Amino acid sequence: MVDAARHPRIDVRTFTEVEKVEGFVGNFKVTLREKAKYVIADRCNGCGDCARVCPIEVPNYFDMNLAPRKAAYVPMSQSVPLVYNIDLDACIHCYKCVDACGALEAIDFSQEDKLVEEDIGAMIVATGFSHFDPSVMEEYGYSRYPNVITSMEMERLNNSAGPTAGNLIRPSDNKNPQKLAFINCVGSRDKRYNPSCSNFCCMYSIKNAILLKQMNPNVDITIYYIDIRTPSKGYEEFYDRAREMGIHFSQGRPSLITEDPETHNLFVHSEDVTLGKVMEKEYDMVMLNQAAVPQPDQNHMSSVLNVAQSPGGWFMEYHPKLRPIDSPTDGVFFAGACQGPKDIPSSVAQGSAASSRASRILQSDHWEIEPTVAVVFPERCSATTRGRACGICAKACPYGAINIFSPEIPAEVVTAKCHGCGACVAECPEDAITQLHFTDAQILAQMRAVLADKPEEKILAFRCHWCSYGGADLAGTSHFEYTANERGLRVMCSARMDTDFIYEAYRLGAGAVLYSGCHPQDCHYITGQLIGAKRASRLEKIFERMKMTDGRFRVEWISAAEGDKYARVLNEMQAVLDDIPMDDLKAEIEQLKPEMSKRLKKFPGVPGVQEAMDYSDILVDAITKQKEAA
Amino acid sequence: MSQQQPENNNEELRVGVYVCHCGTNIAGVIDPKEVVEFAKGLPDVVHATDTLYACADSGQKQIKEDIKKHKLNRVIVSACSVRMHEATFRGAVSEAGINPFLMEMANIREQCTWAHGHDREGALEKAKDLTASAVAKSRFLTSLDMIEVPVTQKAMVIGAGVAGISAALDLADQGIQTILVEKEPTIGGVMAQLNKTFPTMDCSI
Ligand SMILES: Cc1cc2nc3c(=O)[nH]c(=O)nc-3n(C[C@H](O)[C@H](O)[C@H](O)COP(=O)(O)OP(=O)(O)OC[C@H]3O[C@@H](n4cnc5c(N)ncnc54)[C@H](O)[C@@H]3O)c2cc1C
Ligand code: SF4
Ligand code: SF4
Ligand code: SF4
Repeated sequence: MVDAARHPRIDVRTFTEVEKVEGFVGNFKVTLREKAKYVIADRCNGCGDCARVCPIEVPNYFDMNLAPRKAAYVPMSQSVPLVYNIDLDACIHCYKCVDACGALEAIDFSQEDKLVEEDIGAMIVATGFSHFDPSVMEEYGYSRYPNVITSMEMERLNNSAGPTAGNLIRPSDNKNPQKLAFINCVGSRDKRYNPSCSNFCCMYSIKNAILLKQMNPNVDITIYYIDIRTPSKGYEEFYDRAREMGIHFSQGRPSLITEDPETHNLFVHSEDVTLGKVMEKEYDMVMLNQAAVPQPDQNHMSSVLNVAQSPGGWFMEYHPKLRPIDSPTDGVFFAGACQGPKDIPSSVAQGSAASSRASRILQSDHWEIEPTVAVVFPERCSATTRGRACGICAKACPYGAINIFSPEIPAEVVTAKCHGCGACVAECPEDAITQLHFTDAQILAQMRAVLADKPEEKILAFRCHWCSYGGADLAGTSHFEYTANERGLRVMCSARMDTDFIYEAYRLGAGAVLYSGCHPQDCHYITGQLIGAKRASRLEKIFERMKMTDGRFRVEWISAAEGDKYARVLNEMQAVLDDIPMDDLKAEIEQLKPEMSKRLKKFPGVPGVQEAMDYSDILVDAITKQKEAA
Repeated sequence: MSQQQPENNNEELRVGVYVCHCGTNIAGVIDPKEVVEFAKGLPDVVHATDTLYACADSGQKQIKEDIKKHKLNRVIVSACSVRMHEATFRGAVSEAGINPFLMEMANIREQCTWAHGHDREGALEKAKDLTASAVAKSRFLTSLDMIEVPVTQKAMVIGAGVAGISAALDLADQGIQTILVEKEPTIGGVMAQLNKTFPTMDCSI
């Protein structure tokens, strides 16, 4: 802590929050709110005279509200920086502190919050975690029974710098407890609250049990657990040591705690799974190892920072396996428990990893990004044609990369913020946006090529680059065989799969079409898949109404790890085609063509598409000739 | 940052097609030469050939020499997955003076011969179609330049718990000015509140 404060290149801003983040990789502008401390940092020498004379006491959150602090305070004596704060909500304006501070004149009640802007190139988010409040679990009586405390309260009470100078006492009578229980997974691995594991509670309950046993070998300690999870290096040995010291372990989540109102002793009711016995044991004190949960302001921070959250609420990494440190926004990285519960060694390691990811960008005065980005044709945007930018593109963009400044000004893509998912391209009702390297003309030309010959036998498969294309690769690598009638096309995200492409495929006579992308939680473009999925389900309904044979249009979410699924889906689609007599299939295709053409009325007007159609006629001729010659 | 154009300027196309054997990975199921013959009849293809290993130094060298000799301005590599070698072939063509985005791959290994080992005829038809598809796309490819953005060489770390402190120290030790933002009056996060910590059982601060 002190090293950070002393480092010549680290500028520590405490009591400061992030108000706004604008810009993009290499070029962020961050607005910070430096909250008023009512103490001038440069003048305060940390003597604490103000706190000594302050008559007001309030609970200190830092001590889990187990001990008081003054209205003029530091959270702990080792605070870094050691600058006092005045808590204006508690202060009664007696100004004794001002007198006590005297000639230093460090106290300044006229201070106000300050908004400051900082230009930075990269950002590491390390906002940590919070603690589950067990008072909602009535069965454990926390906040009703004085001797049921949380693990964080335990950390303070057992701490030599804490409110009792490390003397662990029972809140009900200030006696040292002799019989103690720890309950693990309080609010963790519990479908009612948090289905996931909090990662470090097993280890810290063992830690606290060992510490208590070292201080007093006669104390009797039981740890109630569902599973003990000690997978890191040296952790299993730590667990062994606890058992050798005589700490008891009882498997099974306690169902109830009751209290003797006279003695305030507690009875833990549980079923010991290994013994197969229902038990009720008496303790002086019970510690609840509460779940690690996202910060209360995590949702707010996620929108300020424009980063997504995983289902549990933690910040979501770019890719859980391959890019665990990166956020989906270039130049923003995660470290520590804000991305999911982590113990100290992992948090430190991730902090170092994040610094190295960030310095890749910061070591040079420029950074290169892939040019496969969206480009607007301003003359086609409804702002130009009708004086009203519809803004659908801006709403679709997962990265907020599209600006709509006013109804008359065409949409504008901030190239450096665009990740090239193609959502806006496929969503724009005016076909006023294209994506470089994945233009309509390019994709149409590809479709025409693979559907040139006997299209009714073909299964045209649209796959996203990151997942389904990877799944198809894995099917091959694993030699899971599937129908050779599949013809794959690759776009970056299912969000790019334009309805026009699907109609055009059927207009060209395709036997079947697969619409395939990642699972929602795997999307490389935050919410791209959601946009693709919504469009796909609209298409499903449309084709149902057209009475297209079930299975000729299929929507599947296939990850890069699901090669078997890719092969299975394709074979199932082939089976659908095999079931339809060829003449019937051809008749259905012909019958639906006018419907498809109707929906494609605007398609030839899309820039490049007419050209692609003209070219394709020549191409199709050539393909047919070559195939006949063979 | 210049706006790049989605349309190409109708330059005369000279497409070169390379059909890889990948040893027997591809050639064990289909005859690459048949795909080559097919490709020769496609519009704008001025040169088509098979190659034992397109990705090997010798394969890349052949492509680079052909670009000069046949004045190619589009290159199609029918070989493996883009996830495997797109970067390799983009590099090769750009060394020979072609914009890397004017190279297109057809995946005839993972997504063809490996997946249809028992349907040689079907695999051959598919390899032809995928090659034609890449040629077709190349007709509409445009040169693209990587987008260069300036970088403010300064970092911000939000949250000064043990993770944020460790990140800030490492950045600063690498010479990078770092602002460490903490919403509480002290840095340290949860760790500063803890008693001794596992696995070492030393004091937490
Ligand atoms: C009871 C208990 C005991 C534990 N014992 C151990 C142990 O013995 N050994 C071990 O390895 N691990 C232990 N842990 C786990 C340890 O606490 C975590 O690994 C560690 O604190 C994670 O560090 P962090 O920096 O990611 O998050 P935090 O410690 O939560 O730090 C986050 C920091 O960010 C600040 N912040 C949050 N939001 C903002 C914002 N919007 N703007 C600015 N600043 C913000 C917070 O104020 C805080 O200072 C224990 C945990 C608990 C609950
Ligand atoms: S003015 Fe406020 S902070 Fe200062 S001593 Fe009085 S109550 Fe405490
Ligand atoms: S969706 Fe299309 S028409 Fe609407 S504002 Fe965006 S670019 Fe313009
Ligand atoms: S929607 Fe996708 S392609 Fe369009 S601007 Fe946003 S990131 Fe780029």
